[in-house]
Amino acid sequence: MTEPADARDEGSEGAVFADATVVGGSGDVMIEVFGVDKFFGDFQALKGIDLSVGRQEVIVVIGPSGSGKSTLIRCINRLEKHDHGSIVVDGVELSDDIRAIQAIRRETGMVFQSFNLFPHLTVLDNITLAPRQVRKMPRQEAEALAMELLARVRIPEQARKHPGQLSGGQQQRVAIARALAMQPKVMLFDEPTSALDPEMINEVLDVMKELAREGMTMIVVTHEMGFAREVADRVVFMAEGQIVEVGTPEHFFTRPAEERTKLFLSQIL
Amino acid sequence: MSTAPMSPATWVRHNLFRNRRDAITTVIAAVVVGWVVFQTLRFVFGTARWEVVRANLTLFLVGRYPADEQWRIVAVLIAAAAVAGLVTGVLTKRRRRAAIADDAPLPPLPFARRLGLIGARYWPALVLLLVLLLLARTSTPWVVAGAVIVAAVVGRLVGGALPPKVGIVLYALPVVLPFVALPFLTGPLGWDDWGGMMLTILLATVSMIACFPLGLLLALGRRSTLPALRGLSIGVIEFFRGVPLVALVLMSDVGLGFFFPRDALPGRVVRVTIAFTIFTAAYVAEIVRGGLQSVPRGQTEAAQALGLPPVRMMALVVLPQALRNVIPALVGQFISLFKDTTLVFIIGFLDVLSVADNVIQQPDFRGQGLFAESLVFAAALFWVGAYTLSRESQRIERRLGVGSR
Repeated sequence: MTEPADARDEGSEGAVFADATVVGGSGDVMIEVFGVDKFFGDFQALKGIDLSVGRQEVIVVIGPSGSGKSTLIRCINRLEKHDHGSIVVDGVELSDDIRAIQAIRRETGMVFQSFNLFPHLTVLDNITLAPRQVRKMPRQEAEALAMELLARVRIPEQARKHPGQLSGGQQQRVAIARALAMQPKVMLFDEPTSALDPEMINEVLDVMKELAREGMTMIVVTHEMGFAREVADRVVFMAEGQIVEVGTPEHFFTRPAEERTKLFLSQIL
Repeated sequence: MSTAPMSPATWVRHNLFRNRRDAITTVIAAVVVGWVVFQTLRFVFGTARWEVVRANLTLFLVGRYPADEQWRIVAVLIAAAAVAGLVTGVLTKRRRRAAIADDAPLPPLPFARRLGLIGARYWPALVLLLVLLLLARTSTPWVVAGAVIVAAVVGRLVGGALPPKVGIVLYALPVVLPFVALPFLTGPLGWDDWGGMMLTILLATVSMIACFPLGLLLALGRRSTLPALRGLSIGVIEFFRGVPLVALVLMSDVGLGFFFPRDALPGRVVRVTIAFTIFTAAYVAEIVRGGLQSVPRGQTEAAQALGLPPVRMMALVVLPQALRNVIPALVGQFISLFKDTTLVFIIGFLDVLSVADNVIQQPDFRGQGLFAESLVFAAALFWVGAYTLSRESQRIERRLGVGSR
């Protein structure tokens, strides 16, 4: 919001961040992930992840399936509990303390691959539920906010429908509006376009691009390389639970350093 | 199904006589159905001697409740009708408001059309009422039926006129009323004096209303992370599902006296109602648990990601979906409970079925083989209740299913 995205990219043009804890964006740190391990039984999904995300920075996480991308962002809002290390979001450290968890969840919006809209509620009620219940916003105010957000994701006319009556692309845009209704400081996107028909992918990506342009701090797990190239401040490549390489899109798509990154990119591009 | 309108002849050819096999099936089915319908009609309007029912109508309806005190039951009926009307009025108004908020106002229907809809909805009960009134020998039942209907209509109108905020208080009424009003209304007589259809309705209604919240709590308890709560819930559910209902009914009546001082125990009807309630609650708990499991994990994750605290997540996101998924199973359980109340005959209560069994032993009717008449009548009473429950559940399902996946 403070500066246009173009200005932000300047200076970091072509730079290589060997260390994932060097922060882009506006400078101060929004999310700090340090030494995080995550086990599912004997399987180690995350191995010593270090990552810092600056305020207003857009991070795109790519990597083969099973590499721990989703697990990483699910740890950030405690949908998964990390086993070692620390995660700090906007100055609050995640712990078993339910108040810390709730505080972080209030500031963190999440968009899922499978939308996860509430099928028994109308679009409007989906969006107003959390502001009214968690933020104690009066109904009228919440509905005005919801209509504003629906206009932003370009489907205000669907407010009274149920999710089941919408297309996949529309549902995902409602899901984005629902997350934004809590006025979060961070948005986490877990493969938001992977469940969509090809012709609907762009309508969702456009909304996300706009959000990035407005200065939202975002971590996006995706396979959309075009989006990564256009919007990301930094791209994080993960494999087998580790961060293999971090860099600007320019670095990533022209001269990646690591063999595994090259192999992955050659497979998907 | 073809959408184009068909002439009756085309419809018949298309649906009943499309080919040789269809034609044979149609003919055989028609013969069977025709024969059954003919025999039934001949019995009902011809050979059956309904005198046994006619003479014992009061016994069928209220058991041996003393004639001087029957006004109390009438008062209960009127109060229940008024409350039902009131709740319907409030709910209808609320639904209209919601529809207006959703920019899809429900057009007000003309009075005749509304009567028609009510008729289509409750025709079995209305037909039964008419039969009862025609069987009656005095004019009292007509007055009672009239008063009950008037009470329901007045309640409905008052409910529709109340300001919407009163709604919450109203939810408590049907729950509180039986506990406050009934003992007062029953006066010197207790619930133990109830009999006939009224006893069946009393047992079934109270158990149904009470078993649902209990079952819900047991289901949530069984999914709790607190070991003590989970253990208690599992214990209650598995014990009461594992014991025959007959055993529980007997236990409630005679068995409890061995464990507790008799004076400390509530009356027999209350005890057996509790037995029905807990027994059904155990089944309801498992049905609800199944419903909870049918809600995808993504739903709870989305609610958590939005920062909804656990209780609100359960109440606003998970339970509404879980319950919608299990309405058919729940209603099946309720219908089952309704019919299982007949088991009280083994502890000597005079419910509808016991009455049906007893009246054919009366001096006037003994040895005349009138089983069919009295059993068909009792069965008809049960069928009307069960069918109405089933129809209402389908209505609820349709209403909740709007715009669902």
